[in-house]
Amino acid sequence: DSHIQYERVGADVTMKCGSMDWDAAVTWTANGTDIDESHLNGSYLILKNVDLTQSGQYSCYEGSSWHLKYQTYLRVGTPPKEPVLMCRSNNYPKGFYCSWHLPTPTYIPNSFNISVIHGTKEMVCEKDVYPKNRCHIRYLQLFSTVKYKVTLTVTNALGKNSTTLTFDEVAIVKPDPPESVVAKPVPNNPRRLEVSWQNPSSWPDPESFPLKFFLRYRPLILDQWQHVELSDGTSHTITDAYAGKEYIIQVAAKDNDIGTWSDWSVAVHATPWTEEPKHLTTEVQITETTSASTSSFMPPPTTKICDKGAVVGS
Amino acid sequence: MAAADSPSAALRRRDLCSRGIRLAGKMRSDVIDLLDTYVERQGLDASASVAAVEGVPVAAVERWDEQTGTQRLLENLAAYRAFRVLLAQMLEEHREQLGEADTALGRALAAVLLQVSAFAYHLEELLQLESRGPPSEEGSVPPPVPHLGLFERKLRGLGVLRELAQWAIRSTRDLRQLAKPSPGSSSAPGWTESP
Repeated sequence: DSHIQYERVGADVTMKCGSMDWDAAVTWTANGTDIDESHLNGSYLILKNVDLTQSGQYSCYEGSSWHLKYQTYLRVGTPPKEPVLMCRSNNYPKGFYCSWHLPTPTYIPNSFNISVIHGTKEMVCEKDVYPKNRCHIRYLQLFSTVKYKVTLTVTNALGKNSTTLTFDEVAIVKPDPPESVVAKPVPNNPRRLEVSWQNPSSWPDPESFPLKFFLRYRPLILDQWQHVELSDGTSHTITDAYAGKEYIIQVAAKDNDIGTWSDWSVAVHATPWTEEPKHLTTEVQITETTSASTSSFMPPPTTKICDKGAVVGS
Repeated sequence: MAAADSPSAALRRRDLCSRGIRLAGKMRSDVIDLLDTYVERQGLDASASVAAVEGVPVAAVERWDEQTGTQRLLENLAAYRAFRVLLAQMLEEHREQLGEADTALGRALAAVLLQVSAFAYHLEELLQLESRGPPSEEGSVPPPVPHLGLFERKLRGLGVLRELAQWAIRSTRDLRQLAKPSPGSSSAPGWTESP
């Protein structure tokens, strides 16, 4: 008979050759390679303190006839540790999702079971196709003071573990970051930058559930961020930018009344408007032509003031 | 439901809605502060779970997004009228129990009671804009004060304040729904009869 055999890392494993007697002559192979006799005790195969590399197909053949008497697939792994569970509502008030992962791999298949209880009611957590370890729950009730209790149980052939989260409806509300953040200089304003963004597309009803925003910005040359909180609207004009310095800007969002701030948006860069340097060549020629009339002619300088290499008194 | 909306009525309603939203927001932050003070002064555990308290209007609602404007206002008004009675009872019990010993908690309770009364009045104003007007309170007998032990009374108070905090959020959302221009009409905000 052939089947899968699960063993813990570090375990001592003994395999019998099917129904063969202890003293029968047999040959054992691992993934098709003969196993040294030192691992045999009679017809039994003894594997001490197994490790992950010893996972594989083990077969036992009767001595003379090479008849396959026993075959197993050994899977060496570990029981699951307590899983890490996180629940969050990024599309309030539609619902919330829970996602989970194991802190360390088990090297063998695991199955997850999640239960969501609201008061006395069990709610359905619909598994998402992707990502795998995630499911989502639709709010049946809003504005409830009754807590949600989510229990995740993970099981594999070597053991079982679980974790439980208890939370209020409002506590897990955390929008996704704002989208389409754009920052632009303001012509003729060397200290201004115009920043605009959009509500995260996952937020279903910004009118009834408005978001407020947090903007942070700093010149690349400094580490200290400047912050401004905005209770409505999706744009802001920075008016205290250092002239000519490149800025990095990010935005975060939060429901106006409940929950926590989103992660920061993607960073955008912008440099305030700077006056175009006037072409000195035109000025230089004028001064030269007036002085030429009183002295011998001087050719105009070959280097134009706006050429890169030109050094203007800094 | 709402008589054909004159622009002035629509503007009046929008003004009442936005003032109501601000009032509900202020009330909510005061209720949360009061909750912290109440838990601390009454020696309760902030995470204690409190079963549904009889006579306390529950903010939890199913299919909230399908409610009509009238339903929202009527349910809000009934709730805040009930909270007005409940908070008055709590204030009375507090004075009996502690006299002047704990004026801070007493003052905070009285301040929230005042806001709840103001908000109930605000809702009545909004309902005045409807042809039917708010339901009258005459004849509505406040629920009898249940005879409870001291600890049960404290837990009951905790349940009242928690539900009030949730109602304050719900009212903010309701008023925003009401302030929304309903589809197809340029001026009249979300008073649609059906969702």
